[in-house]
Amino acid sequence: MSSSRIAGGVSLPDRGASSSSSKSGARGGVLSRVTSSISQSPVVYQGKRVACDAAFVAKKLLKSTGKAAWIAGTTFLVLVVPLIIEMDRDAQFTELELQQASLLGTPPSASSGQ
Amino acid sequence: MATFVSPPASTTATKPAGSNPAVIGKEKVDYFNLPCPIPHDEIHREAMMSLKPELFEGLRFDFTKGLNQKFALSHSVLMGPTELPSQSSDTIKFPTAHYEFGANYLDPKLMLIGRIMTDGRLNARVKYDLSENLSLKATAQLTNEPHMSNVIANFDYKGKDYRSQFQLGNGALFGASYIQSVTPHLSLGGEVFWAGQHRKSGIGYAARYNNDKMVATGQVASTGLVVLSYVQKVHEKVSLASEFMYNHMSRDVTASFGYDYILRHCRLRGKIDSNGCVGALLEERLNMGLNFILSAEIDHQKKDYKFGFGLTVGE
Repeated sequence: MSSSRIAGGVSLPDRGASSSSSKSGARGGVLSRVTSSISQSPVVYQGKRVACDAAFVAKKLLKSTGKAAWIAGTTFLVLVVPLIIEMDRDAQFTELELQQASLLGTPPSASSGQ
Repeated sequence: MATFVSPPASTTATKPAGSNPAVIGKEKVDYFNLPCPIPHDEIHREAMMSLKPELFEGLRFDFTKGLNQKFALSHSVLMGPTELPSQSSDTIKFPTAHYEFGANYLDPKLMLIGRIMTDGRLNARVKYDLSENLSLKATAQLTNEPHMSNVIANFDYKGKDYRSQFQLGNGALFGASYIQSVTPHLSLGGEVFWAGQHRKSGIGYAARYNNDKMVATGQVASTGLVVLSYVQKVHEKVSLASEFMYNHMSRDVTASFGYDYILRHCRLRGKIDSNGCVGALLEERLNMGLNFILSAEIDHQKKDYKFGFGLTVGE
């Protein structure tokens, strides 16, 4: 008994052959039939296919999103970042000039000439 | 409209006299004192300012030294990759270094500019006012390679409310253009050219509308090129430009958009076009007579990235 179980565990065709005769083999046959019927059922098949497709689409989407983000990011870096920095600097200068003018009472033309 | 463009070569004042009475009855604008229009070859000037900045790759150093009021010498060093012209889509670059020596003579009546590079290229430009209205402009590019040199001479006649130009070049190139102010804001023009060497000829029409806030131009040529541009001055130091270009022969369409910011210490120009090309040029004034230049250009489609920096001393 034990030897047959071991043998059944080792090789599938042996278990398949013994399943028709022995009790434990019959139980295994039910289980395998159930699992095979589940795995071969159209629902599972469809689910698998949908999951596969979803993964494929997600991968494509992620890739194209990444590409778009890269293009948008580099464009932003070239076109907008220098503009922000320079406008900020200009605003700072204007503020400094205003401060100097109000503190020292100097005309703004003298400070802008520096 | 066609009456204005048909006599591009006629430099006499008969045309404005003949065309003005037709429109004079409609409005109270003084059509006999219209402003002089912009030269025909410069009608896209404002749009070019922000859409075609002088982008470069690598290092450049320019030094200009004025010897006296009128005479100046210039030295410049350029280092960086140069693109080889090729038919294939991918670009081939090889590193080059050049030194360029130049001499400028600037006088109100006469302007002479010469540039010579270490690889033997010579550029010369002359502008000479023959009389108050007639001026001569000539440009020459001479190289040591055969059939690459060219010389072009332009005779410009500036009338009261029109300009005309006659062009002569090597390779039997003849061209003539005429532009006329129609209203204080609108000017219309036309051009014809004939290139004898390539056996090509063409005719083109142009229109330009400008007021103090915006400039709109349109140009159509029989070579199949249609160019429309629009520049809006948002602020006295900020202008936005857009351009649409369509080539009927090669069927390619390009739309581009650019900005031009003039701040107190810098000038920043940027543009983006529908070919996936992004460019920006920053000219930062570090000190009096010392400018720092940063240039960036990204071509997403060709995966071609160009970055450059430079210094300009003098001027």
